[in-house]
Amino acid sequence: MGYWGDSLLTAFELILGFDREVRMAVWTSVYTSSCSIVIAALFGVPFGLWLGLKRFRGRQLLIALLNTLMAMPTVVVGLLLFGLLSRQGPLGPLGLFTPLAMIAGQTVLATPIVANLVLAAVTGADRRIINTALTLGASRLQAAIQLLREIRFGVMAAVIAGFGRVIAEVGVAMMLGGNIRNSTRTMTTAIALETSKGEFAFGLALGIILLSVALIVNLFLNVLQQR
Amino acid sequence: MQPVISLKNIRVAQGENFSLSVDSLALQPQRIYALTGPNGSGKSTLLRVMALLISPQEGSIEFAGSDSNHLARQRQRVTLVEQSPYLFKGSVADNLNYGLKLRGIDSKERNSRIQSTLTIVGLERFEQRQAKELSSGEVQRVALARALVLKPELLLLDEPTANIDSNSMQAYEALLSGLSEYGVTVVFSTHDPSQSRRLGEEVLRIENGHLINGSRRELEESALNERNRVYGA
Repeated sequence: MGYWGDSLLTAFELILGFDREVRMAVWTSVYTSSCSIVIAALFGVPFGLWLGLKRFRGRQLLIALLNTLMAMPTVVVGLLLFGLLSRQGPLGPLGLFTPLAMIAGQTVLATPIVANLVLAAVTGADRRIINTALTLGASRLQAAIQLLREIRFGVMAAVIAGFGRVIAEVGVAMMLGGNIRNSTRTMTTAIALETSKGEFAFGLALGIILLSVALIVNLFLNVLQQR
Repeated sequence: MQPVISLKNIRVAQGENFSLSVDSLALQPQRIYALTGPNGSGKSTLLRVMALLISPQEGSIEFAGSDSNHLARQRQRVTLVEQSPYLFKGSVADNLNYGLKLRGIDSKERNSRIQSTLTIVGLERFEQRQAKELSSGEVQRVALARALVLKPELLLLDEPTANIDSNSMQAYEALLSGLSEYGVTVVFSTHDPSQSRRLGEEVLRIENGHLINGSRRELEESALNERNRVYGA
């Protein structure tokens, strides 16, 4: 069947046979990405909403900074957090090469994405929403919450886009997780390691799962963007 | 009788070219006021000031018997319906429920108020209709119902018939003329002098950001002259 054919066959056998190594890598990816996106949403959604509604000196600078953070290479985020979490760093007691360190890095990565996309949704929202809520007796905070309800699909799309980014990244997971088997090995770091060891079929199995996750995320995004 | 709202020495500056100036204005309870004036004269700004959406740089706004300076609580006594009202996503009932929930009204009372208000505006059985499915005339009436259901002391309508067809306009005017029966003071802005004559029990006139003092006849003549100037006699 040839190299590709044999590898694909083995990859599907690994997936359908629920191979333990594959399962662990998938679980670590999903677990760390889910935790980080929840934390990123808790910070990013209110921040994006606030930045979208408030007018103040330096706002454009803050938006430019947010855009820069959004485009920051994952290894740079990994590097900065490595410095903070290493034994000599200010957050040394939290420790490196743990799922917690990976979640911290992925949160830093996802928060600007969520905030930026929520900001875009707020900017594109109907300008009458806030005033309508105010004229019906809402406080400023209640009116802002009503705006969030009105743009809920945009907010969900922001969170899903952030999840897509962190589950597919390799730099933070590698630098802060250390690719430790059954602990911090994610789909992406396992692909990099196993392929370099010559285990192409194993890498392919995880690659197929990762692509499937990316496909599902994008299908969700498409559905939300059309609403 | 104590006025529903009193404005004194109000000054609002917006940019370099426009300012609103109202020395004194007191609106009596359960009256219908027509607010007339040319485009850009400050009608919408005055309505927004009364709705407490714009804070004037100078002057005071007082509601009858008000013992609270809490802005959101003050704002719950007045409701503004915009020229192109925005309906929240969801059903007509969701829209009417919004302000009632903010006021902590229980669901039984909410349902009863929604039913009776939809009957007033002629939209019985519209509760479950989705906002996005409504015509522009229906949107105006739902927006009016959403305001009326809150039983405001002061109802402000910014050119309520500007974007609806003539049939809907007649129905809306009939509705508007009966509103004072529900114990509400109404201020509606309009460009149409005949509409202000038909519906307004009192007439307010604003020109270049200044509220004009004068008898009803003088103010109506001024509105008519402006119309003739713009559209020809």
